[in-house]
Amino acid sequence: MAATRTKPSAREIFTTLEYGPVPESHACALAWLDTQDRHLGHYVNGKWLKPEHRNSVPCQDPITGERLAICLQAQAEDVVAAVEAAGTAFENWSGLPGASRAQHLLRLAKMIQKHQRLLWTLESLVTGRAVREVRDGDVPLAQQLLQYHAVQAYTQEEVLAGWEPMGVIGLILSPTFSFLEMMWRICPALAVGCTVVVLVPPASPTPLLLAQLAGELGSFPGILNVISGPASLGPVLASQPGVQKVTFCGAIEGGLRLLIQESVWDETMRRLQERMARLRGGRGLDGAVDMGARGAAAHDLAQRYVREARSQGAQVFQAGAVPSDSPFFPPTLVSDLPPASPCTQAEVPWPVVVASPFRTAKEALAVANGTPRGASASVWSERLGQALELGYGLRVGTVWINAHGLRNAEVPTGGCKESGSSWSGGPDGLYEYLRPSGTPARLSYFSENLNYGTFGLAVPSTLPAGPEIGPSPATPYGLLIGGHFQAPGARSSRPIQDAQGNLHGYVAEGGAKDIRGAVEAAHQAAPGWVGQSPGARATLLWALATALERREAALTSRLERHGTELKDAKVEVELSARQLRAWGARAQAQGHVLQVAGLKGPVLRLREPLGVLAIVCPDEWPLLAFVSLLAAALAHGNTVVLVPSGACPIPALELCQDMAALLPAGLVNVVTGDRDHLTRCLALHQDVQALWYFGSAQGSQFVEWASAGNLKPVWVNRGCPWAWDQEAKGAGRELGLRAARTKALWLPMGD
Amino acid sequence: MSARNRGTELDLSWISKMQVNQPAVLRRAQQIQARRTVKKEWQAAWLLKAVTFIDLTTLSGDDTSSNIQRLCYKAKYPIREDLLKTLNMHDKGLTTAAVCVYPARVCDAVRALKAAGCTIPVASVATGFPAGQTHLKTRLEEIRLAVEDGATEIDVVINRTLVLTGQWEALYDEIRQFRKACGEAHLKTILATGELGSLTNVYKASMIAMMAGSDFIKTSTGKETVNATFPVAIVMLRAIRDFFWKTGNKVGFKPAGGIRSAKDSLAWLSLVKEELGDEWLTPDLFRIGASTLLSDIERQVCNNPLSWDKLTSVFLRKKRKIPYWAMRTREKTSSDLPHCTQTSAFIQANPHLKWADWTRERECA
Repeated sequence: MAATRTKPSAREIFTTLEYGPVPESHACALAWLDTQDRHLGHYVNGKWLKPEHRNSVPCQDPITGERLAICLQAQAEDVVAAVEAAGTAFENWSGLPGASRAQHLLRLAKMIQKHQRLLWTLESLVTGRAVREVRDGDVPLAQQLLQYHAVQAYTQEEVLAGWEPMGVIGLILSPTFSFLEMMWRICPALAVGCTVVVLVPPASPTPLLLAQLAGELGSFPGILNVISGPASLGPVLASQPGVQKVTFCGAIEGGLRLLIQESVWDETMRRLQERMARLRGGRGLDGAVDMGARGAAAHDLAQRYVREARSQGAQVFQAGAVPSDSPFFPPTLVSDLPPASPCTQAEVPWPVVVASPFRTAKEALAVANGTPRGASASVWSERLGQALELGYGLRVGTVWINAHGLRNAEVPTGGCKESGSSWSGGPDGLYEYLRPSGTPARLSYFSENLNYGTFGLAVPSTLPAGPEIGPSPATPYGLLIGGHFQAPGARSSRPIQDAQGNLHGYVAEGGAKDIRGAVEAAHQAAPGWVGQSPGARATLLWALATALERREAALTSRLERHGTELKDAKVEVELSARQLRAWGARAQAQGHVLQVAGLKGPVLRLREPLGVLAIVCPDEWPLLAFVSLLAAALAHGNTVVLVPSGACPIPALELCQDMAALLPAGLVNVVTGDRDHLTRCLALHQDVQALWYFGSAQGSQFVEWASAGNLKPVWVNRGCPWAWDQEAKGAGRELGLRAARTKALWLPMGD
Repeated sequence: MSARNRGTELDLSWISKMQVNQPAVLRRAQQIQARRTVKKEWQAAWLLKAVTFIDLTTLSGDDTSSNIQRLCYKAKYPIREDLLKTLNMHDKGLTTAAVCVYPARVCDAVRALKAAGCTIPVASVATGFPAGQTHLKTRLEEIRLAVEDGATEIDVVINRTLVLTGQWEALYDEIRQFRKACGEAHLKTILATGELGSLTNVYKASMIAMMAGSDFIKTSTGKETVNATFPVAIVMLRAIRDFFWKTGNKVGFKPAGGIRSAKDSLAWLSLVKEELGDEWLTPDLFRIGASTLLSDIERQVCNNPLSWDKLTSVFLRKKRKIPYWAMRTREKTSSDLPHCTQTSAFIQANPHLKWADWTRERECA
């Protein structure tokens, strides 16, 4: 590297025409560290918190290894203090009119603007990222995020009426993160009135600086609290009774996978290598450097991957003017990996790109959707039709057509599959921190005694349940799977009692095998249903509503037998039909076009189905809840596996007869049986894309626990009964929000 | 000079499928300007290098033999001797790459350069510059006459009508004829990119011009409303690279029009370095068409901390924005006193003069 050699003279440079160092002075970052005596604590309630007797870790310059400061490690009581401070601040902050919150956020944006140099030099110094990336990308975007969310706060009372802030939000950051990722999450939270406790990994001063900037605004010191500590504090933060929601924010972009069509493979690879050869690497604080370094750990990871790939027979291309010593790693292009080699499955580390060929667009789509990750992708093609088809087909949160890496505060950013299911930015980001007004806050329903290993494992055996009176209620018997009624795999039945405790009838006792069959049937029906236009979906839902009305008498009497008043039963049936029609109508008005500052061309905000959605329905409002959940799911293009109310499944099964006749086979599958057992089967099933659970607190806890294993988006009621007959609930926007996921499709234009 | 581009047969398949992704080009153009800066020694060296790429140009209706003479003198001695000495560059024989004038002034330029005893090539614009809206016959004749007068480089403008109506064969044939009329003189083809409508057209026109045997492709005449811009340059440079990959022929690149500041010139150098590599950074393959750029480069070399410490000149310390060459013509005959002292004395004696007056003064002289 030039800096380590003796400085060449102008005369020499005249011949070589090489680049020289363009060092960015980081004196202000060091001066800021000096104000803390190079001894960083936590920033809680507008004050530095530096408790005694804590472990500390050094914060080092990742390139020189120079010790910049030492950072205290938090312990559980520091977390408690931070959550308490945030809780106190929440009372004032959430009570403010939106306009005042907007004002405050704007002041913070101004504050960042004033100290932007400090911010970018500190970030680059500590993380080793190229300073121009932070200076030209992250810092302006951070300000834009604050400004955008200030506007959202201003219009909150009007636009977000019927929603209230959740409370204290816990944000856990992964070891390699950029402060921008934190901004994406705290801005919407603060805008809607939540307060935040951020747990940052050890030795990351930038969030502390941001918290200090926010704290120095004076008025609301406790809205943003930052504590730094080991990952083991995550569960401590999550289990604090005051914390209403925990958001986890993953690592910044790693390596990439590149799929190139065979017909342009050679040409593309040649151009790629040419371009890579011109990349410059070096110390992040150099203004003319394309890529910095991300520390020794990232270097080792990349090196290990490349070595493995080479040993598995891959071609490795490395180029670029990058210093050869650790922690610098040159941009690397890996190709010709044998299809079955472990490296094709492993996550690609930064700064490695793995290229593989494909023959047809369809094949590319299958490969791309076959990966467990789903954050973002870009499609490069001059054929717009093809690019759009791929863009719609990719199962990721963000797709750029003929562009890459564009971000904007107005565009929701999120992911699916293992990349998580939460959203930041845009309207979707706001709802992450809101709940419908009147819903109870998160209760400490968490039970230490729940045995995850045995929950719902065994089905209690069913025996004949006493005298059958009256006409045999045999008709709706069986499980609706793949469009027709089937006998359960276990070949046993479960008795259903009416309100008086008399036997009402038998329903099938479904089990793991039936769930597997149902999920498979739902998967088979999915492509057809997704391909239907919203209009066609609406037509079917309306037809179902008509069929339901025809059955009104039967349904009413069934409900009555289960203890519902005649009047209420009539209302329930009527509301159910209305729900089907309402969701049918809503299916036609989804998604919209965003116009983004600085971008020529639209960004499409698409609402895409989750896929196969499993729904465990509540016991209350046995028909209405079943129909509401079903209608919302279908309207958004999902195929469903439903477990109807445990106490009163018969009205739902009545309706199944119409569904079997009207709906395409496999679109709706209904499995009755032991709810805990079925819930277990669904929660642990790898191929169910999302799960809604309405039932006991224990069941909710189990579902959330299981989802941590397979990263399935879940929605649970935590044992709280819902008022399904009220607009805010049954037909509410929350149901609509949950029933689909957002995708942002960027379409830059120009000729 | 390196081997000339002989051109190739017209192959429309090289351009028919081409589609330029304009948003991506804009993004790249934006990045490249922010990412590559040079400072201190590097800046001084790069600026001096930029001087060697300049086609020092005057294309005005009021050009006369006297200002052509001054121009040629400036081409020979682009940077003050004392400045070069401080940078230890005085023995490099630093000159601009060429002078560029109207056909009628070629004789003046050739004579002036001969008198100065240097071999700087004279370039002439031709073919109905700047609009190209004259008959082909007269356009060809114009080239021949300029070559006869001693121009060794001809900057021709293409017929934009042919591009906008997609008559690629006709465009190829025309440029082919230009090339023939040039004989041994080098052909620089001006695409007038500001009038081509789209980046895709810029790529196609570049490719056609290279297939027809242009030694250089040049962005603009300097007379259009939009001149040399970075996005256009990226497209042209990529076309040059594609042509090189296909045929092995290296074609030069010349941005022209609107390049006035030293900072701009550095950005152009780094753009070529990034897109084509160091091998293109020679006067054979890279030129900058400019008339006022040189004065700013000289000023920036002065302001560079390296020269800063060593120079004693009063007016330079004050960073007065007076291009040195404006004074040079006035002083060169008078005495052997150091230039700076005399110039500063002049300025101190005429404090009311502003830069505009200065130029007028010079023109009158």
